[in-house]
Amino acid sequence: MISILILTDPANSDIHILQKNSKMPKNKKLFHIKAELLSKKYLKFTVFKNIKFTIKTGDSIAITGPNGSGKSTLLKLIAGIEKPTSGVIEYFYNDQAVNQEQLIRYLGFISPTISPYNELTGLENIQFVIGSRDINNINTEELLKRFELYKHKNKRLKYYSSGMKQRLKLLISILHDPPILMLDEPGSNLDQNGKDIIYSYLNSERNKKIIIIATNEEEEAKLCNGSISFN
Amino acid sequence: MEASASIKSVVSNLKKEFTIEFRNRFAVNVALSFAAISTIAISLALGGIPISPKMKAVLFWIIMFFSAMNGLSHIFTREEEEGTSLFLRLNVTPESILSSKLIFNIIIFLLLQIIITPLYIFFLQVEIKSIIPFLLTLFTGGLSLASITTILAAIVAKAGGKGSLFTIISFPLVLPVLWIVINSTFISLDKQNYYQYNNLLFLLAFSATIIAVSFLLFKYIWLEE
Repeated sequence: MISILILTDPANSDIHILQKNSKMPKNKKLFHIKAELLSKKYLKFTVFKNIKFTIKTGDSIAITGPNGSGKSTLLKLIAGIEKPTSGVIEYFYNDQAVNQEQLIRYLGFISPTISPYNELTGLENIQFVIGSRDINNINTEELLKRFELYKHKNKRLKYYSSGMKQRLKLLISILHDPPILMLDEPGSNLDQNGKDIIYSYLNSERNKKIIIIATNEEEEAKLCNGSISFN
Repeated sequence: MEASASIKSVVSNLKKEFTIEFRNRFAVNVALSFAAISTIAISLALGGIPISPKMKAVLFWIIMFFSAMNGLSHIFTREEEEGTSLFLRLNVTPESILSSKLIFNIIIFLLLQIIITPLYIFFLQVEIKSIIPFLLTLFTGGLSLASITTILAAIVAKAGGKGSLFTIISFPLVLPVLWIVINSTFISLDKQNYYQYNNLLFLLAFSATIIAVSFLLFKYIWLEE
């Protein structure tokens, strides 16, 4: 058992970080993310400042807080989609530094702002990502069945319900078996059955990956062994 | 990324572009409608009055230019409008995105030329005196216009997808290309067996420069917040 090392600037009282224990994964391929004095400003509005943390494989972190507190922004910064106003985020895979360009190989990311192609079917969207990422040896049928999308695989996405789209987004984000999984409100638009499918997947992968979830749902926060909360 | 993986990624992206295009046919429909309507309108307006080869070359490339501007700009703005740009960015490298979109625009533009040129020849009773130089001008001119529109479409899409900006910002880049292709087309309509290798070489070199600069700049344009 090792503890997650998450530190923040004590002067910043708006952000509380809870430390719990995480299990060390059995495989030796370890990813770790280190953030130093991370701040984000939009014009004069400061979203957050001076956040420090280190997360490694086996850690699962929930980012919680009210709407507009900066949960999604922090997630985007960690995913390299947005740049911090100040501070740095470093990524290491087996102690080798990973740059921003290489990061997409290791990252699975879903958010309400991401949309697969509505004009393509579910299966075509999956095949597009498999081809683009040069993924081999993947059992697409099994994944489609696991996410209860097999029956709908040949339907264009514009005819999918929002819950089906959400399940497809998660399926697509894990096709390349990424060591980092970042989920912004993964349970949104899902019924209880859809949530169960996603939560069961996250539970099964918790110790093998870094999982970061931005959420307001208590149920989702409970899946994680650490949290960053914005007040 | 290995070369085979990069090629696979470009092919996969290209397949996606063509599937989407042939399901909603936006670029082709817009460009073809524009070209067909303007060709017929010019033909009717002229009402059989003969015009000089120079004028025929000018009108032909004006139609091709505006068809390209209307149809091909959509390649990147569509990603922004439909919210798929982040999905694309997270799954495909910038180099593969640019390569596939560039190849897509070149193929679509050449297809448009294949359809529009016979229409134009028929409605305006164009006589081509040097067929091979004419075809080579079409190809090299098409290559130049498609490469310019691809990188400019990426810039415009990131500038808030303001499609109306597209024709305006493309004008300074397109001007030398239009100048050369009009001249070269005029010569192939007017003179027999007259090859304008300098013009064709200029167009090829211009396209190569635009493509090289696009590959250098695209990553910064695409990854801009």
